[in-house]
Amino acid sequence: MKRIAVLITIVFVLSLLVVPMVMAQAKPTPAKEPAKAPAQAKPVAKPAAPKEPIKLGAIYCFAGPCYMYSESAINGIRIAADEINAKGGIMGRKLDVIVRDTEMKVDVGAREVKDLILREKVNFLEGPCSSGVGLAMQVVHSEYKVIRVTTMANTEGQVVDKFTPYIVQIVPNTYMEAKAATRYLHKKVPTAKKFATINPDYEFGRREFAAFKEEITKLVPDAEILYEAWPKPGEKDFTAFITAIMAKKPDAVHSSLFGGDLVAFTKQAAPYEFFKTPFIALYDLPVLLALGPDAPEGTFGFGRGCFFMDPNPKMLEFVDKYKKVRGAYPDSWAVQAYDGVYLLKAAVEKAKTSETEAVIKAMEGISIDSLRGRFTIRPLDHMGSVPCYQGTIAKDPAYPFKIWKDISRVPGDQVWRSEESVREVWKKTGVVR
Amino acid sequence: MSFDILFNQFMSGIARASLLFLVASGLSLTFGVLRVLNFAHGSLYMLGAFVTYSIWKGLLIPVVGFYIATFLAALVMGGIGIIIEFFLLRRLYARGWPEQLLVTYALVLIITDLVKLGWGGEFLSIPRPVPFKGAVSLFGFPFPSYNFFVILLGLALVIFLWWLVYRTRIGDIIRAAAHDREMVAALGIPIPWLFTWIFVLGAMIAGLSGGVAGPYGAIALGMDIEIIVECFAVVVIGGMGSLPGTLLGSFIVGQVYAFGIMFKPELALAFIFMVMAAVLIIRPWGIFGRPER
Repeated sequence: MKRIAVLITIVFVLSLLVVPMVMAQAKPTPAKEPAKAPAQAKPVAKPAAPKEPIKLGAIYCFAGPCYMYSESAINGIRIAADEINAKGGIMGRKLDVIVRDTEMKVDVGAREVKDLILREKVNFLEGPCSSGVGLAMQVVHSEYKVIRVTTMANTEGQVVDKFTPYIVQIVPNTYMEAKAATRYLHKKVPTAKKFATINPDYEFGRREFAAFKEEITKLVPDAEILYEAWPKPGEKDFTAFITAIMAKKPDAVHSSLFGGDLVAFTKQAAPYEFFKTPFIALYDLPVLLALGPDAPEGTFGFGRGCFFMDPNPKMLEFVDKYKKVRGAYPDSWAVQAYDGVYLLKAAVEKAKTSETEAVIKAMEGISIDSLRGRFTIRPLDHMGSVPCYQGTIAKDPAYPFKIWKDISRVPGDQVWRSEESVREVWKKTGVVR
Repeated sequence: MSFDILFNQFMSGIARASLLFLVASGLSLTFGVLRVLNFAHGSLYMLGAFVTYSIWKGLLIPVVGFYIATFLAALVMGGIGIIIEFFLLRRLYARGWPEQLLVTYALVLIITDLVKLGWGGEFLSIPRPVPFKGAVSLFGFPFPSYNFFVILLGLALVIFLWWLVYRTRIGDIIRAAAHDREMVAALGIPIPWLFTWIFVLGAMIAGLSGGVAGPYGAIALGMDIEIIVECFAVVVIGGMGSLPGTLLGSFIVGQVYAFGIMFKPELALAFIFMVMAAVLIIRPWGIFGRPER
């Protein structure tokens, strides 16, 4: 008995030794370095400028489903900052990046923002990942009059319901994104009248659903939503949702599932032949990478702009650079964060100062050539006319994973909320402008 | 609402219950004998999933690679179980519940950060293994064959645990130790080692279920907390430390959720916790549990 116990212990200890060795060979992607939380950006070539640096507080959510997106965003920001500093900074001032973590918690986000402003004396903020954290943060940095560029958290609440002059949004917001996706779905299946929806049950999912409902009723006046599924974020088992949706026999299904949830959903839905029904969801690069051969060809996806969605020369140059530094393809989260830094640079240079009110004035109506093409910041609500992308999942011999075909690029100003509509919401929520 | 649609929904509930049972049985086992509420059980499950992924990716063996990887991951989690039990939990048995919860919660945070360090927090996926790739037909409805695999594994685990606890000498000792550990120790049985092995078994079950979860859904940060909350619902309903209780608890949670989704989707999750609250009021020790002495 005792000898057996000793033997088993040895087996366990050996397994602990052997497995890390196997795993070391199996690192999924090279050069994946965990985010160094409060670390400074490395200056590449220090210009001989004694001027005070411009400080950018990059505050993202290094927890749960947000972790990977946040890491991508920081990579994008660092690449942009290194480029800018190598060329002499912004108006001769070095750009310093200070990274902070909200832990995806509303209270931590508010606290860290306050700390960045009061102790680190940052000039600008960029982030976060979670829409809920973004809304909480907005109260704090607006009070201290510091501008935040949101490149990932995309609830419309930030620029519409709870607008303050200290927010700029350059990620398609929930309204634009769902509207554009709904149009694509309608274009692909114009005869569909009966719909089902499945959205994560929180701020983001509820807003995407509301925009889908509004748009589909416009496009198909007799449209009917047969069933709304509301899985919690992080759901592991969608089987019961899948069978419930299929029992209703919808013509098409709209969804804003993303990330790991969409991966789980797709694998669980495939054996039910669910994807014979037209379906659209946030099938962006990380999801297609994770799914590999399991990605359903012919199913529709929407996304916020990565290389296969918008293969323009500027984007491809960024892809090469990113691959050299990080050893992987950049996703749209890195692209948007990179664009955010260049937007701030353009606004500061136009204002000829980093002083907040002047930069806000410069920001309103500014146009920049970004990785996603040219976009303009609307003066009224500081929403960027950033494009929304949709496509159909397909194989491409040039890549070891599936990408999109039939790509549609909808400029932001075709789908954003009209100024009158924004003002109407403001009347209700008490925003005066 | 025809029979086949209801039956299909029922089977969805069964599949969900099987995965829950796999995880909850380990939690319940450690609690039943060690009397430690292991908050980190979900984290061992998550770590098991990530380890399975890496071994599977490293082995590159078609067909059987996944099964070998899951088995090895369970062994690794057993090894980690030894470390946790020997260096941490052993020192906590005599302490109160607040300290046990604090330490196991600390483990949750540590394991989460270990996963971030080792895998960078991206979500991963293992394709469904052969021969469980497609679906079989049940009353004309397709039913994923991998779900059958999970159900069969759940059944196998029930039988194994039942055999271990009720049909072996070790099982006699386990049940006696759960009842009165001083008396068992007085009979000359090395209680500390027994506890280590029980914890290791629990950790191995967590690792195994994590491995199985890879092809089932996605492997991602946050899957630990997501599952542990539902597992607590399962063991509270069924009765902490009771094997039949865990089985019944998983079944109830799976079915309440599946039919909640069908008829009142916005309240599906609330229904589970309503059942839990009802059990707590009527029978605080759970359906098959026994009152604390």
